[in-house]
Amino acid sequence: MSTTYDDDLDHRDERGDELTDDELAEWADEARDRRLGWLMLVGGLIGAVAAFTLVIERMKLLADPSYVPSCSFNPVLSCGSVMQTDQASVFGFSNPLIGLAAFPVVAAVGAALLGGARLSRWYWAGLQVGVVLGIAFVGWLVVQSIYVIGALCPYCMVVWAVMIPLAWHVTLRNAEAGVLGEGVARSGAVRFLRSWSLLGIVLVYLVVVAMITEAFWWYWSTLG
Amino acid sequence: MTLPTRIGLAVGAVLALVVATLAFLALTDSPEPRATVEVAEGPSELVRDDSRVLGEPGSTGVTFVEFLDFECEACRATYPVVEQLRDVYGDRVTFVLRYLPLPGHVNAERAARAVESAALQGELEAMYSLMYETQVDWGESREPADALFRTYAEQLGLDLERYDADYASPEVAARVQRDVDDALRLGVTSTPTFYVDGELVQPRTVGDLVDPLEAALERAGAAG
Repeated sequence: MSTTYDDDLDHRDERGDELTDDELAEWADEARDRRLGWLMLVGGLIGAVAAFTLVIERMKLLADPSYVPSCSFNPVLSCGSVMQTDQASVFGFSNPLIGLAAFPVVAAVGAALLGGARLSRWYWAGLQVGVVLGIAFVGWLVVQSIYVIGALCPYCMVVWAVMIPLAWHVTLRNAEAGVLGEGVARSGAVRFLRSWSLLGIVLVYLVVVAMITEAFWWYWSTLG
Repeated sequence: MTLPTRIGLAVGAVLALVVATLAFLALTDSPEPRATVEVAEGPSELVRDDSRVLGEPGSTGVTFVEFLDFECEACRATYPVVEQLRDVYGDRVTFVLRYLPLPGHVNAERAARAVESAALQGELEAMYSLMYETQVDWGESREPADALFRTYAEQLGLDLERYDADYASPEVAARVQRDVDDALRLGVTSTPTFYVDGELVQPRTVGDLVDPLEAALERAGAAG
């Protein structure tokens, strides 16, 4: 972990640097965007690898229908059965192709932020549209996978796992930076969500894990 | 580190532990079914008192158990073989049917409920045969086949009012689920899976099923 914004700020005070409020705010914004850059770079890369693996497994399955994907472990943890559902290609082509195209963009934007890029408001707005569509799609897939298909695909769950913090932090960043409107930027709710960010993300994970535990209880209860 | 972050980390750590436990259980779940089930000692996971029997119980106490999924193509392929075996051994061997609708098949569980509902009206065998004979019409479809299965019930001259009630009843669903639970306890996760006289048989040829049947009958002292 790098030093946090708070730590750095303390040092500045000790050294007695004279920063105007504007400079301070700008500096804090940059630090925040750099941290988001790390998340986007790492999350984007993980998502891209997961999507790539899913595409490859799908292709192997197409070439040889008897192929057992590397992530089919048992009746519950199985991508073979999930991949062949209608939900796995909602738009007429394999879903992970979307991830294969979109996650590298996320990673590249993350790298740009780390490289000191300053992106304009419309760029962030575009990114916001992207993460909203992404998280909505993931939410739908989570419900389909758990309650309709009745099987879990490990690589898909990797995508769920990265999409949640990505959507959270990009949205929070945009809320703070006024991309979602000045009213939102000034609201106490945004400050509250910022300080409770980690717990918020953990709670979203908790909901998904609870859904999985409950829906597959018949399976878990046979193990051990 | 701020207090909210600490709380988030603590809850996250607990959640990570839960997920790791579930993942460990699921990944160490051996896909190998139990090789031998003691059948002489009465009802077990393999044959329950209320397990469905095709035709009449055999005279020797030797059992032939099939875990099957009406939507599974391999099960349909072995259906004529099982019918032949029943022709030859039906008087001496008890042919037990255990439902194992796999989660990846949309209509497998529905088909099992339709067959169980027919069984409640004494038409187990007719519906069982009909499911395999019509599998090409509804198998691998992503559309629920409830209406189609109802026409089969009509075709068999079942009391439709009773069929509808049974088909939708929690009792019938639970009856199917009990078979599934037994299968999972035995480690049976694929269909068709056969047990001849309590021994797991993984046949490659018809002979692989005939030989253990003959051996079991010989043990039972009724080979002729």
